[in-house]
Amino acid sequence: MNPYIALLISFALCAIVAGIMCGASWLLGPKVENKAKSEIFETGNPPLGSIRGIRFPVKFYLTAILFVVFDIEVVFMYPWAVVFRRLGWMGLGEMAVFVAVLAVGLAYVWRVGALEWD
Amino acid sequence: MYAALFYFIAGLTVIGALGVALSTNVVYSAMSLLAALVGASGLYVFLAADFVAVVQILVYVGGILILTLFAILLTHQIAEIQVSNRSVGRLPALGLVVLLGLAMGAAILRAPWHVEPLAAATPTTYGIGDSFLNQYLLPFELASVVLLTALVGAIVLSRKELRE
Amino acid sequence: MEPSALGNVASLAYSLPEIVLGAAVVLLFLLDLVVTRKETLGDVALVTLALVVVLSARLLWGDSAALYNGAVVVDGFALFFKLLLALAAFATVWMSLGSREIQKNGTGEYWAVLLASTLGLLFMASSTNLLMAYLALEFVSLTSYVLSGFMRHSRRASEASLKYLIYGGVASGTMIYGMSWVYGLAGSLDFRAIHTALMSGQGAALPLYVALLLTLAGLGYKVAAFPFHMWAPDVYQGAPIPVTAFLAVGSKAAGFALMIRFFFTAMAQSVGAGVYQLVGGVDWSQLILVLSMVTMTFGNLAAVAQQGNVKRLLAYSSIAHAGYMLMGFAVLNDDGLRAMLFYLTVYYLMNLGAFVVVMLVANSTGREDLAGYRGLAWRGGALPAVAMAIFLFSLTGLPPLAGFVGKFYLFAAVVEKQLYLLAVVGVLNSVVSLVYYARIVRTMFLEQPTGGEGVVAVDWHNGLLLGLLTIGTLVLGVAWGPLIDFAGRSTHFLAY
Repeated sequence: MNPYIALLISFALCAIVAGIMCGASWLLGPKVENKAKSEIFETGNPPLGSIRGIRFPVKFYLTAILFVVFDIEVVFMYPWAVVFRRLGWMGLGEMAVFVAVLAVGLAYVWRVGALEWD
Repeated sequence: MYAALFYFIAGLTVIGALGVALSTNVVYSAMSLLAALVGASGLYVFLAADFVAVVQILVYVGGILILTLFAILLTHQIAEIQVSNRSVGRLPALGLVVLLGLAMGAAILRAPWHVEPLAAATPTTYGIGDSFLNQYLLPFELASVVLLTALVGAIVLSRKELRE
Repeated sequence: MEPSALGNVASLAYSLPEIVLGAAVVLLFLLDLVVTRKETLGDVALVTLALVVVLSARLLWGDSAALYNGAVVVDGFALFFKLLLALAAFATVWMSLGSREIQKNGTGEYWAVLLASTLGLLFMASSTNLLMAYLALEFVSLTSYVLSGFMRHSRRASEASLKYLIYGGVASGTMIYGMSWVYGLAGSLDFRAIHTALMSGQGAALPLYVALLLTLAGLGYKVAAFPFHMWAPDVYQGAPIPVTAFLAVGSKAAGFALMIRFFFTAMAQSVGAGVYQLVGGVDWSQLILVLSMVTMTFGNLAAVAQQGNVKRLLAYSSIAHAGYMLMGFAVLNDDGLRAMLFYLTVYYLMNLGAFVVVMLVANSTGREDLAGYRGLAWRGGALPAVAMAIFLFSLTGLPPLAGFVGKFYLFAAVVEKQLYLLAVVGVLNSVVSLVYYARIVRTMFLEQPTGGEGVVAVDWHNGLLLGLLTIGTLVLGVAWGPLIDFAGRSTHFLAY
């Protein structure tokens, strides 16, 4: 487990720094509770209705799923890049098929206009 | 130290998973999932699977979890459902789950698990890349078609929403 | 002794059907972007599937081989299923081209996703590795969710798709957890290696039993066996009719193919003369036997209680049929397997036929409820009514129809193994099933139309398909010899 000790220290430091920041402001900061303060912040206007009623447009979802699919594609490419030298042309061909199939996906996404926000 | 760390991470995973299942607020469930996924990533590190651990963070925490949050925010009134299939209720289900839990517990304790000799923690990416392009080439190439279809399927289904 | 698996390049020659299908999927996605007349894409899909059938059939004369370092095999068993699955997809595309539902709501992507699903089915039928099997199964599930939720402006279809997705997610999660147990016990994902590990005494009965039970969740879900059937009624009812037919015939057959191969090659040992023995001390045949009885009884009783929607009724009927087919699984020998393969083929003809009639009625009248079939024979639909009667009596298992021969072989295998209780339950169930099948027939012939049902017309395109399926059901009822021989030859697994 030695190779990971640096990672562990880094995580621990992150946790400590974040803990100090949150903890200190919680301990030292003044706490004044009143009605106006606990209201939902809507640029100064009184809030209109419940926030639960708001539905996000499906476009957000679409963007997220595009991200996930191409994210996974890159995850697959990374180990290939590591062994690329040893596999040579064969590996390049295999990866070309993989990328070509997903390029069709990109072309499709582009053509049907899923990349445009409006 | 090593054991303490393991139990800390395993505990984080289990508590996160419990939070997902037991929280009444679906947004809290999603946030508990974060703890469970990060915990799982930590468990991969314990298994010396560095690549998988990083992918776990990258894909699940960075992608799938965000997607889940979007999905929750997109939908409303999840609680309003019509039940068209009859069910026999919670008590038999609880009985079944307890029974299965006991059987699994007994099985886990008794099983002669296949144990791989403990290897030094070396980077695994090279081996994974090699497996992808040699041993498991067919699943690898099929994965590209699966991703393509998933992409198109998601667009088709959500475009249906957009048009309406 | 053990010939090793072929490498990646050498395997290509054996996987022409899959390569053609995969290329067609990609091509169709591209064509969809440029072609405006979407039926053209359906024609391309039809031609592709015909080609896949021919290419798969050609391999029947070749050697068996393990391909891609043991990910999949091509052997008699796999080829039988590849032919059946490609034919099922072919009929589905044919149906889709004549379906009002698809014409109104279908988009160009429909055809590509349907072919992609078929590709997944083919891989399910030939996987010999848990990783490959899981990937293929997930691929099929993913495409099925999309196919069942395709229709626009249909709350029902969206609901079906969502329910399918949620049940499917749970089932596949349970299954992959079970697979991880198998891996933990045997130390390999390869069916052959799992078998070897179990033979050498690795693994213990209880953990293995739990592992199998969990794995069965995903497979049982695909074949719609009790208690993993919950999705079927809602999804069958909500999905477009050709997709329902595809799920009922294609997914089920591929699920059985994977289940048979996994249980018979990894969890059992051939002891010659077509008889198998359990390995690892897990009596899964007993488990399957119980599942079979419960599944068929549940399916039939639920179908009897089902009064309204015909598609929903056929869903329960399809659950019951999964139960019948599991009988052939539980007897643990080649006779049982042969009966299963034969029954799957017959089931393909008669069940698909029934769905074509449902589609014809829905095309003309937009109705799927039983009342919409009132006096069908007397308002232009004489041909579909007669065909439907043939399919339904065949599903019941009455002679001289194909369903009777199928059930005969199943029961013969069960009786020969002296599983009398199973045989009695099976026969009683067939009697019960007559109640609801005959109810439809009575509605079509003996009840008079009240005038509001509308006229049912048959065009040549759908009529031809209906005719072919009817002829198949009739012919196999009297001349089943060649098919049963072919099924018998196809019970052979490649031991590499």
